[in-house]
Amino acid sequence: MTTNDVVISCKHVWKVFGDRPERLNLTPATTLDDLRATNHIAAVRDVSLEILRGEMLVVMGLSGSGKSTLVRCLARLLDVTSGAVEVEGRDIGKLSEPELIELRRKKMGMVFQSFGLLPHRTALENVAFPLEMRGQDRASRIARARDMLALVGLKGREGYFPRELSGGQQQRVGIARSLAVEPDIWFLDEPFSALDPLIRREMQDEFLRLKGMLAKTVVFITHDFDEALRLADRIAIMKDGAVEQIDTPERIVMAPATPYVAKFTEAIDRTRVVHALALAQPVEGRVIEGEPLPANETLHALARRIVGDSRPLIPLVHKGQIAGLLDRKAALDLLLGPVA
Amino acid sequence: MQKLTSLLLGAAVIALSAPVWAEDSSDPIVIPTHNWSSQIVMSNVVGQMFEGMGNSVEYVSTDSQAVYEAVRLGDATLELEVWEGAFGKSFRAAVEKGGIHDVTTHAAITREDWWYPMWTKEACPGLPDYKALNECAAMFVTPETGDKGRFLGGPVDWLKHDQEKVDALGMNFVVVNAGSAAALWAEIAAAEKDKTPIVLFNWTPNFAEAVWPGEFVEFPTWEEGCDVDPAKGPLPDKVFDCGNPANGYLKIAAWDGMKDKWPTAYTTLQKVNFTNAQIAEMAKLVDVDGMEPEDAATAWLEANEAVWKPWTE
Amino acid sequence: MMTAALGKPPFQLDQRRVAQAILLAALVLVAFRGALPAGLVRLPEAMVVPFADWINAAFAFAQDDLGLMSLTRAFSDAVELCLDVTANLLYGKSRWPNVGPIPWVVIAATAGMAGYALGGLRLALLAAGTFVWIAVMGQWKWAMETLSVIVVSVPFSVIFGLLMGVLAWRYRLAERILNPILNIAQSLPHFAYMIPVVVFIGVGPKAGAIVTIIFSVPPMIRMSLLGLRAVSPEIIESGKMSGTTRWQLMTRVRLPAARTEILIGVNQVIMQSLAMVVLASFIGMPGLGQKLLQLLQALKIGLSVEIGITIVLLAIVLDRMSKAWAMKQPEHVEGETWVQRHRLLTIWLGLVALGFLAAWAHPYFAEVERKQALSMAGPIDVVVGGFIDLVDPVTDWLRWFLITWVLIPLRDAFLWLPTSAVVLALAGIGWRIGGWRSALVCLAFVLPIALSGWWDRAMITAYTVFVSVTLALLIGVPLGLMGAANETRARRFLLVCDTAQTFPSFIYLIPVIMLFGVNDVAVVAAVTVFATVPIVRYTIEGLRNIPPEIVESAQMSGASPGQLLRHVKLPLAVPTLVVGANQSIMFALFMVIIAAFIGTQDLGQEMQRALSSTDVGKGLVLGFAVAFMGLLADHLLLRWARSRNASLGSSQS
Repeated sequence: MTTNDVVISCKHVWKVFGDRPERLNLTPATTLDDLRATNHIAAVRDVSLEILRGEMLVVMGLSGSGKSTLVRCLARLLDVTSGAVEVEGRDIGKLSEPELIELRRKKMGMVFQSFGLLPHRTALENVAFPLEMRGQDRASRIARARDMLALVGLKGREGYFPRELSGGQQQRVGIARSLAVEPDIWFLDEPFSALDPLIRREMQDEFLRLKGMLAKTVVFITHDFDEALRLADRIAIMKDGAVEQIDTPERIVMAPATPYVAKFTEAIDRTRVVHALALAQPVEGRVIEGEPLPANETLHALARRIVGDSRPLIPLVHKGQIAGLLDRKAALDLLLGPVA
Repeated sequence: MQKLTSLLLGAAVIALSAPVWAEDSSDPIVIPTHNWSSQIVMSNVVGQMFEGMGNSVEYVSTDSQAVYEAVRLGDATLELEVWEGAFGKSFRAAVEKGGIHDVTTHAAITREDWWYPMWTKEACPGLPDYKALNECAAMFVTPETGDKGRFLGGPVDWLKHDQEKVDALGMNFVVVNAGSAAALWAEIAAAEKDKTPIVLFNWTPNFAEAVWPGEFVEFPTWEEGCDVDPAKGPLPDKVFDCGNPANGYLKIAAWDGMKDKWPTAYTTLQKVNFTNAQIAEMAKLVDVDGMEPEDAATAWLEANEAVWKPWTE
Repeated sequence: MMTAALGKPPFQLDQRRVAQAILLAALVLVAFRGALPAGLVRLPEAMVVPFADWINAAFAFAQDDLGLMSLTRAFSDAVELCLDVTANLLYGKSRWPNVGPIPWVVIAATAGMAGYALGGLRLALLAAGTFVWIAVMGQWKWAMETLSVIVVSVPFSVIFGLLMGVLAWRYRLAERILNPILNIAQSLPHFAYMIPVVVFIGVGPKAGAIVTIIFSVPPMIRMSLLGLRAVSPEIIESGKMSGTTRWQLMTRVRLPAARTEILIGVNQVIMQSLAMVVLASFIGMPGLGQKLLQLLQALKIGLSVEIGITIVLLAIVLDRMSKAWAMKQPEHVEGETWVQRHRLLTIWLGLVALGFLAAWAHPYFAEVERKQALSMAGPIDVVVGGFIDLVDPVTDWLRWFLITWVLIPLRDAFLWLPTSAVVLALAGIGWRIGGWRSALVCLAFVLPIALSGWWDRAMITAYTVFVSVTLALLIGVPLGLMGAANETRARRFLLVCDTAQTFPSFIYLIPVIMLFGVNDVAVVAAVTVFATVPIVRYTIEGLRNIPPEIVESAQMSGASPGQLLRHVKLPLAVPTLVVGANQSIMFALFMVIIAAFIGTQDLGQEMQRALSSTDVGKGLVLGFAVAFMGLLADHLLLRWARSRNASLGSSQS
C-alpha cells in the first residue's frame, strides 16, 4: 500500500475549546484533567489515523465522544488546535479560503444529522445548491439535480419544500445534495440518527446500494454500534475525544483493544460480524476433502452448513482459491456458545 | 420724434412682455399651514390664486415657529401670517440669519393678549385693568389650579410668554395651556352656558369677536424691548412686565429665492393684502360653518373676486 | 456608605440590610423635609448641568464645521426622489414619472390579491375592504400621502436595520456599541426624534419619511441579529460544505434561513412607521395624521372618528399581512403552463386590467370626489353629543373628583418630595433588588435627570405615569383574570390586545377627548387606556403559562377556585405580570409625551415647546430624561422578575 492511497490523514489532531487554546502546549501526555485545570475542554485528543482511497471508515462513539468534532476537523468546518489534517497530501489547515472553497466544491460532500436543508428552497434547488455555488449554469445544474433526486428515489418530489417531506425523504435530499458535485470524499455525520428505526434500516440499505455504485472514500459517524458493524470497512471507536481502537469490525469484535471497546462488543452477536476466514487455519499441505464453504460469508450465514458438516476442518474458498481451513469446533463455540 | 416714439413703444413692449419671458419655475410653491383656521384658509386662498395663474402649489403643515427656519432655507416658500406678537421674535431672528425677507404688510391690525367675554366684566367690574383682574382672581379658580385663578393659554407651540407675564406682574394666576385653538372656543362656549367668568388667550382678527363680544385685558403698554430689557416697562427689574403690542403688524414673509424662481407669483404676493374683516370671514367659514379649509378658500375666492382679481393682473 | 460597601467584597453584604438602611435614610430626609437645607430639597440652580447647551454646541459643530448638513441633505434628497415617485403613483403629485395617480380600484384590487395570497379569503376581504372604505369615505388622498411615505421609509429602514444587524452579528464590538444605543433609542419618545430632523432636514413629507426611517430601524436591527443567531449550525455547515464563499453564505444561506425573524422585523418596522408617520404631522408630514391632528384641534369628533377608523383599519391590514408573510411557509405548486403555475399573478393582472378599464369608463372608479364621498360624521357627532350630554354629570363629577382628590394631591406630593430623598430611595430599591450594581444603575439613570434641571417636570411625568399605570393595573388585572378563565376567551382577549397594540398611539386620544374634553383627566384616561393593554395581555399569558400539573396538584389538594387563584396561580403569574407592568410603564411614558397635545405640564409640554423653537439640545435632554425614567423602571422590574422567576425555578419570563 503506497502513501498515494491515503486520502485523509490525521496527525496528532487536537481540538480544544476554551480561552485561546492555541497557546496550550499539547502533547500526547496531556490529560483531560490537565486541560480542565485551565478551563479548557478537549473534544478531540491526539487523534492520528489514515483513511484509504475507497475505504469506508465508521467513527463510532457515544455522544460527547468527539466524533462529530473530529469529522468537522476533517472537513475544516473547525480549525484544529494542534496537529494537522492532510487531504491527498495537502495540509488543509494551511489552505487559503478560496482554496478551501475550491476543495469543498470539487472534492467533498457532507450529510448532516438534521439534514441541514435550506427551508426556502425546493428539493431540487437544494440539490442544485452546491452546483449553483460553483457557478454552474442553470440548465445543467437542474438536470444534474434531477438525476440525483431520481438516484435517491425522489422522482416527482422535485418541487416540494423540505417541510413538505418526511424525515427519510429529507435525508435523501441531503444525500443527493452531498453527491451532486461528485465528491471523492463523502462525510456523513450521523445521517440516520434522526430517523425512526424502520426508516433507518431502509436508509442503510439505500446507502449501501449507493456506496456500491459510487466508489468513494467515506467517513461515516454514528453512535450506533450495529450500524457501524453493518456498514464499515474499518471502525474507529472514540471515547473522550481519543480513538480507543481503529480496526476492521471483525478484529474489533474478536480482539477488543481496551475494556471500553470490549464492553461495546459484549452484547453483539459476533456470528453476524465474524467471517469464516477469520477462524481459518492455513492449509499447510493438509488434504482438502469435499465441498468448500465461501470464505467471506459471516458465520451466521453459514451456520446451518457448519452445524450439518462433520469435518473438523472445513475448507474455505475465496475467489476460486482455497483460502484456509475453518476450525469447526471454534466456529460452533461461537455459534452455540462454548460447551458447558 | 419718431425715434422717441419707437423707443417708447419698444420699452412698452419689453415692459409688457417681461413677465412672459421671465417665466415661473414649474416646481411647486410650498405654502406652510399652521394650527389656526384663518391662516390655513388664507394659505389656500393664495395657493388657489397661484394655481389659477398656472403655478403648482403644495401645502405643508408646519410648526408655526419652526416655519421661519424652513422658509429661510427654502423648504417652504412663503408665510402669509407673520403675527408681530407671536412670531415677531422668530421672524426677526430668521431675517438676521438671512434667506427670508419681509414682502408686505397686511392692512389688518393684530392684537393678541389676555381676553375675556363681556359676561366676565359683569362679575368683575374693574376690568379691563389687569390689577382689577388680579383682585378677581378667586373667580377664575378651577380644580386644577387650586387657590389661584386659571388663565387659559393657547397651545404651547405658540410660545406665548404668559407665565413670564404672571411672574413679572405678580398675578395670582396659573397658566393652563389648551391643546388647540378649538379647545379655546370650546371653553368659551362651555363658560357661556352659565356665564362663568373666564379669561383666556385670544386675538384679533378672528371670528370669535363676532360670536362672543369681549375685550382685551389692559396690561402696561408694550414698549420695544420689554421682553428682553428689564429696564423697559413699569417694573425696573423685570422682563415681560407689559402687555403685547396693541396694534401689531401682520406681515407676509418669503424666501429670498422666490422672486427669481417664481417672479410672477412673487409680484402677485407683493400685492396681497387682507383686512381684519376678511381674515375673520375666512376663519368663520371653517370654525363656524364647518367647511374644509380648501373648500372654504374656494368659497371665499368666489365671493370676493373683486378683492383678489386685481392682484393677479 | 457607598465606599464602605464597595470596600468589602459585595457578596458578603446582606443585601436586604443595606437596602433597608438606604431606604431609612431616604425616609428620614422626607420626614425632616422642613429642616433640610434647600440644596437637598431641590438641586441649586448653580449645579444644574447645561447638557442642552453642550448638545447644541455639538450639533452646531456637526452642522456647520463638519458639514454634516450637506450629508444629511444629500441623504434626504435621495429619499425625496423616491418619495416623489410614490407620491406621483399613489396620489398624482406632479413629479416624475408623471403617470399617476393609479386608480383606487386598482390599488384596492392589488391589496385584496396580496391579502389572498398571504392569508386567504378573510385577509383578502379585509385588505380590499379597507381600501374601498378609504376611497368611498373620500380620504383617498390623505391615506395615499401617508402610504407613499411608508412605502419609501420601510425599505430604507429594513435595509439599514439589516445591515446594522449583520454588522452587530459579525463584530462583537459593533454589538456592544449598538446595544445601549438601541436600548435608549427604543425608549426615546417620538418627539425627541423629530427635533434634530427638523434642524437637519426641515419639515414636510421628506422630514416625515426620515424621522420615520430613524424611528423604525431599531427593531429591525434587533430582529435581524436574533434571526442570524438562530440559524441552525447544520444549515450553515451544509452551506459551507456546498462550497459557498462568505458572501454566498450570507446572502443565500444565513439571510434566507433567518427569513421568519427578519420578516417579523419587517412587520415591526411597518407598525412603527405607521405610528410615527401619523405623529410626524407635528413636523409637517401631510396625510391622515395631519388631517387627524387638524380635526382634533378643531374638536371635530365625527370626522376624526372617520379618520381614526381608517388608521386603525390600515394598521390591522398592514399588521396582518406582514405577519402572514412572515409566517407563510413555502408550498410547492404543480402545473404545466405558466398560467397554471402563476394562478394568483394571472388573476391579479386580470383585476388590474379590469380596474383600469373601470376607471377609464367612469371617473368614480379613478377618484372619488369630496362631493361624492360618504360621511357618517354628522350622525356620529349627534350620537356622541347626545351621549356626552347624557354622561356629562358623571364625567363632570369624575373629573372633579379625580382632579381634586386624586390628581392634584398626588401631584403635589410628588413635587413635595425632596430630590435627595427620591434619588436615595431609588438607589435603595435598586440595592434591594439587584445589589450594589443595580443601585449604581439606578443612580446612573436618576442623577442626570436631577442634574438636567428638569426635575419638577420629570416628577409630573412620573406622577402621571404612576397614576395611569396604577389605574391600568386596577382595570387590567381583573380583565386579564376574566380573560384567562378559559382557552377560547383567552385567545379572543389576546387577539383584541394584539390588535389594540398595533394602533398608533395617537388614535387613543380620539375617544378620551370625546369623553373628557381637553384636560388632565383626558390625559390620564388616554394614558391609562393605552397602558392597560399590555397588562391584560401579560396577566392572561402569566396565568396561561402556569404548568397544568401544578394547578392539578393544587386541585387534588382540595383548593377551591378562589384559593387556587390566590395561593397558586397569582403568585406564579406575578413575574410575568411584572413584565407586563414594565411594558405598561413604557407605553404610558410614550403616551404621556404625546398627550402634551391635549395640554400637560410635564416633560412632554416642554418637549413640544422645544420642537416649536427647534431647540435640539433641550429636546434631546428632555427625551433622555424620559428614556432614563423608562430604563430605570425597566431595569428594576425586569431584574426583579428575573430573580423571582429564578427563585420559583420556572423558565417562563
